[in-house]
Amino acid sequence: MKLKKYLLDHWFILLLFSFFFFLIFLFLLAFKVPLACMIAILLCFFLFFLISILLLFFRKKSFFDALLFSTSALDKSYLVLETIESPHFYEGELFCDCLYEINKSMNENVKIYEDATRDFKEYIEMWIHEVKVPLASLILILHNQKEADKRILTEIRKIDHFLEQVLYYVRQESPEKDYLIKKVSLEQIVHNVALHNKDDLLENHVEFITSDLSFFVYTDSKWLEFILNQVIRNAIKYRKESEDDFITIQAKSEGEQVILTIEDNGIGILSSDLPHVFEKTFTGYNGRIKTKSTGMGLFIAKKLCQRLGHEIKIDSEISKYTRITITFFNHSYYDVVQ
Amino acid sequence: MKKILIIEDDVQIRIELKALLENSLYEAIVLEDFSSTLEEILRISPDLVLLDINIPYMNGELLLASLRKRSSVPVIMVTSRNSEADEVLAMSYGADDYITKPYHPTILLLRIAAIFKRIQGIQTVLTYQDASVNLQKGTISRGDVVINLTKNEMIIFSYLLNHQDRIVSRDELMTDLWNNNEFINDNALTVNISRLRTKLKELGIDAKIETRKGIGYILL
Repeated sequence: MKLKKYLLDHWFILLLFSFFFFLIFLFLLAFKVPLACMIAILLCFFLFFLISILLLFFRKKSFFDALLFSTSALDKSYLVLETIESPHFYEGELFCDCLYEINKSMNENVKIYEDATRDFKEYIEMWIHEVKVPLASLILILHNQKEADKRILTEIRKIDHFLEQVLYYVRQESPEKDYLIKKVSLEQIVHNVALHNKDDLLENHVEFITSDLSFFVYTDSKWLEFILNQVIRNAIKYRKESEDDFITIQAKSEGEQVILTIEDNGIGILSSDLPHVFEKTFTGYNGRIKTKSTGMGLFIAKKLCQRLGHEIKIDSEISKYTRITITFFNHSYYDVVQ
Repeated sequence: MKKILIIEDDVQIRIELKALLENSLYEAIVLEDFSSTLEEILRISPDLVLLDINIPYMNGELLLASLRKRSSVPVIMVTSRNSEADEVLAMSYGADDYITKPYHPTILLLRIAAIFKRIQGIQTVLTYQDASVNLQKGTISRGDVVINLTKNEMIIFSYLLNHQDRIVSRDELMTDLWNNNEFINDNALTVNISRLRTKLKELGIDAKIETRKGIGYILL
């Protein structure tokens, strides 16, 4: 709070004061008051004015400065009322009461949306679990029929995959903790992912090659499996359709880090598209030439990695390879927690 | 014949699951009334229970917890809830395995077989006709003749041997191979089977891995 601005803001008081100061001066002159007496009276009058205006200014200044400072310093500035002392002057009190009421009504408003989002999220999760029951039933029915058309199964797996995408999109978005970090074996995870994608890999003649996976990482195994499924599906989708399409998965350890690398020899990604592949709904060149892609898979994968504290990176050369690396940080802290 | 009890509220899944298990030569019993599930399990006394978490009257997890107080029958939890927390919770209630819907039917069968194998204890030596099959060493011996099988060949042969009474589909063999972290392709499976046939012939046993076109193989 600046004095100059404050004074300028109270120009009419200054004007009134100057007017009365001049009026008193004229009266004193008219009553032929001795000069010394006149100076004393005018000085008193001036000092009275000065002190009262400064007093008023500083009383407000201490409150507003604290308010301004807290507002700009807090990253959640709507919490500012919690951090400042309540003021000891009438306007300040009114102001604070107003802020409090505004805050309260906004909180109530936000709560409506929070509740609605949470309800929606819960409904989506429940709905997905519900839809999975008929899917499971369909798969069993097809499996039990000797002459079943394999294409139906492929399409069912696609539906299942899209359902998983929605499920994990909802999960990564929600502020609640939906994951559980445990010490898991990368070998086991890759084993599950391989079995999950077995039919798609075999039908599309993509070799699945693994090596050096005997590492343990701290992660949520279900989330990591979803991320890897996503990467493998992309590798299958953007394969060259040549004689020797393959995907390799390997891991290595560097200090406290474990780095998992998934590489394919597919069509690759344009270098101009590469920085954007983790962006929401980005499809790029590949997404346009192949069947329409949603651009959600890698976006969700990245978000999940962020929440789990892993680092996901992509590297590619057009018509040569695409390489995804996921870095796990195995701090000794986890061992203590365990 | 192993007796498997299916506790599942979805009628279609129940029917198909029963058919699937019966095709794999298990005795499948379906529970249709869920009002006294716990007593029913104890009365039927199955060798294994496939338990859905969402069943009427009583939550599957609670049911499992109360079942564990009175019986140690192996239980596989089947559910469409697929979070890590759900799985940890189910296992802590005493489930032997946890599988999420939609599952690959062959994988479900492998999981069931794995539990029975665990209960029986690991068999390292099997016999086929008058030859003995050593699973650990990866050899088949008959008299003085010993033949080494590769890991893949051994997985295929022991699967065929364990299911000698029925036709085994290529998908089953493939799933078992992948389940053992042998991620081979279709051609490799064909090659492995023909090598296995040659090796068995070398051993001089009248082995027959017959191809049933469009269905799979059977070891006679």
